[in-house]
Order: sequence, then structure tokens, then C-alpha cells
Amino acid sequence: MKVIELKESVTASNEADAERLRAKMKQEGVLLVNVMSSPGSGKTTLLSALIRDSRETKLKIGVLEADIASDVDAAAVEKLGARSIQAHTDGMCHMDAGMTARALEEMGTKDLDVIFLENVGNLICPAEFDTGSGLNLMILSVPEGDDKPLKYPLMFETSDALVITKTDAMPYFDFDAKRCAERVRKLNPDIRIFPVSAVTGDGMPELEHWLAAKISDWQTGASPAKR
Amino acid sequence: MSDRAFEILETKERILADNDAVAQTVRSRMREEGTFFINLMSSPGAGKTTTLVRTIAALKDRYRIGVLEADVDSDVDARTVTEAGARAIQLHTGGSCHMDADMTLRGLDAFDTKDLDILFLENVGNLVCPAEFDVGADARVMILSVPEGDDKPLKYPLMFRVSDCLLINKTDVEPVFSFSEEACLQRARKLNPDIAFFPLSAKTGDGFGAWIRWLTQRVEAKRETSAAG
Repeated sequence: MKVIELKESVTASNEADAERLRAKMKQEGVLLVNVMSSPGSGKTTLLSALIRDSRETKLKIGVLEADIASDVDAAAVEKLGARSIQAHTDGMCHMDAGMTARALEEMGTKDLDVIFLENVGNLICPAEFDTGSGLNLMILSVPEGDDKPLKYPLMFETSDALVITKTDAMPYFDFDAKRCAERVRKLNPDIRIFPVSAVTGDGMPELEHWLAAKISDWQTGASPAKR
Repeated sequence: MSDRAFEILETKERILADNDAVAQTVRSRMREEGTFFINLMSSPGAGKTTTLVRTIAALKDRYRIGVLEADVDSDVDARTVTEAGARAIQLHTGGSCHMDADMTLRGLDAFDTKDLDILFLENVGNLVCPAEFDVGADARVMILSVPEGDDKPLKYPLMFRVSDCLLINKTDVEPVFSFSEEACLQRARKLNPDIAFFPLSAKTGDGFGAWIRWLTQRVEAKRETSAAG
């Protein structure tokens, strides 16, 4: 079918774009983190918490906000003092490496430690496109349910870390953290799982500690320049 | 770079035009059969299946109900709605992030919809791509759940624009989240002044009366039109 052919040809050139961007980021010592999740699972709230904590973690953070329309997220993170840029995807359901590279060029990356790409809210399409990131981080929120690994397996397979957000709402939902972890590990045995509540701050130190180590590995060359 | 983007766009337009033609085929078939066909869309985890289960329970004594369950993978939903008393078929989209008219038509062929009064398509959990594809439904119904936030119309405008009805689900947890029904409604109506709006809880059943009435009116109207010729 035409759709599938188009997808393949785009992905083929996307891979080259992604490798080029990854090499550039590696050279600059800036870790690009591709943050993916469903709409409304708390990407912006988590990033806001990371930016707020950066006064203590001393990380220089940049944020690339990708949205189909609107600029509410970029406005939110800018208010907190992070360098940010809003990318409009013109109806596209995901970011690819070429779009990411262009947006980062516009924003300027050199003096940063880490850049979070807040991808379009979608558990399917972003999983298929390498953005050139050094790390893929996905978010699943408690209200979405612990069965999501069964339904959107590729996203769980391609992520290095899973952040489970809104853990403060756990008493109101039928979410079994252990069952969720089992389902995730079946797809991706090496994935790191961080339960957090960006509202109460629970679990944030563990996530931040891990991120800091990943950034340091990236900058010192301990981690390879590919996912 | 920009050349390539332009090519992609052109191809997409052609795909959408082809899709619209097949959607008309689905629509005329549903008209002949007198089946009211609903395309149900939402984010992952907004409560499509739970809402369906409660809707089926409310209507199964009056109507014959079928469900096309579309998922990238898995068959957990088809099993759940079958247990609730609907006839169901599971469609695997093979990684595709939405249902299109052709996939829907193939689902209908495999399912035999002739004796049904209501057919639901539970689309892939996604607020972006399913909004672009007409599957030939009589009504597009979208679900937004309270934990997702009242700002979603700002970020996924097309979905709100193309939907005939917006169900706000999980109202039972409204006290836990900062969600304003009024702000959400205003934002949705700005995009789509005619959208029907029903806050409800698929967990407790709160608010289901109004939604079931809205749906029943449309099912009856379709049956009358079909019977008249």
C-alpha cells in the first residue's frame, strides 16, 4: 500500500538525519532526551519539575516543545526560566529527525547540558521515528491504566526509561504498579522504571540522579553515540 | 528538505481523497442496513472500552449492538465487550495509528453487520491521526478524560472540530485533578459550536442518562429513514 511505502522511504532518510544529529549533539556534549507519552499524561508538568529542580541539580536545560498547534507548553516552561522553542508540526503526529535538527538549530544548543524534546502527545507514531536523541523517555500516567504495554508495545520497546506519573492519584484508580512493570519488562527487560509524582515531588530525586549520570556519561563519552 | 515535505503532503492529500470515496461506500452500506455507525475516538486510557461496556449494558435489551475493536496489537478489548453482551470483532491495524475507511470496510465484510442496530468502531487510542480519516460513520464521538486536562482542545484542535459529541469521562475523580468542565466546554465550542457535550463517569454511571438519550434519538432516526426507503 502507498501509505506503507511512503513511511518506509521517509524512515530510511530519517535514519541518516538522526545519526547526523546524534553525532552533532555528542560533539557538543548535549544530551537530547526524546520525551513521549499520551496526551495529558504530564509531560509538561514533569519537565517543569525538572526545570524547577535544576537550581539544585545545576543542569542547564533546554526544551523543544513540539505541538500540532498552540504554544501553551513553551510559554509554561519559559516562565520557569528554561530556554525553549515551540515547534508546530503542521498537523503531523510525531517529530522526525529533520524537524528536530531544524528546531534545535533555531534554538541554539551549545551551552546546554540536556535538551528535552517534548514530542507530540501520541503513543504510536513517535515510537517509529528516531529523532536523533541520545535517550528515549516515555511517560505513562496512573489514570491511563496498567494495560497500556499490551496495547502500545512498540513505545515501551523503544524507550530507555519509563516514568510513571501521577502516582499521587493511585488510590483513586485501579492501577497495579507491579503488574505494569511485569508487562513492560516482558517487552523491554532493560528499561528503567521511575514512579513519580511531579505534584508532590515523590520519586523525583531517583529520576534526577539517573538523568545526571546519563548526562555525565554522554559528556565524557562513556555512552556510545547511538541509541 | 522542504521539497521532500511537499511531496509527503501531496501524497497525503491523495490518500485522503481515496479514503473519502471508500467512506461513502461504507456510509451507503450502513444506510441500507439501517445501522447507526459510531466512530469512537480518544487518547490511550481515556476510557473508551469502559464507556462502551456501560453503554452496551444500557442499550442491549433494546438494540442489537456490534463493536469493531481496532488496536495496534492485543485483543483484550474485544473480549471485554463480548462479555458485556455485544457482538465484537478485533481488528489489528498492523502498527497503523488510525483506522481508515478501507480497513473499516474490510472489518465490516468479515463481521456481517446486517442484523445490527448500532455499530461502534473503537478506534486506536490517539488524538491526532484518527481525526483525519473519515471511516464512513454517522457520528464521531470523542472521549476526553478528566486526568488529561481541560487544555486538550488547544493542543489537538482537529479532533474536537470533527467530533459530533464530546464525552468528558472520569468525572468521579474531578476533585483530585484541576479540571474545569466550563473551560473545557468553552475551548471545545470555540472550535466546534455545535458539539454535544456530556460529562459522565463510566465507572459510577453518573451522567449516562443524557448521553444514552442523545444516542438513542439518533439510532431511532436512522432506523426510520432506513425503513422509509
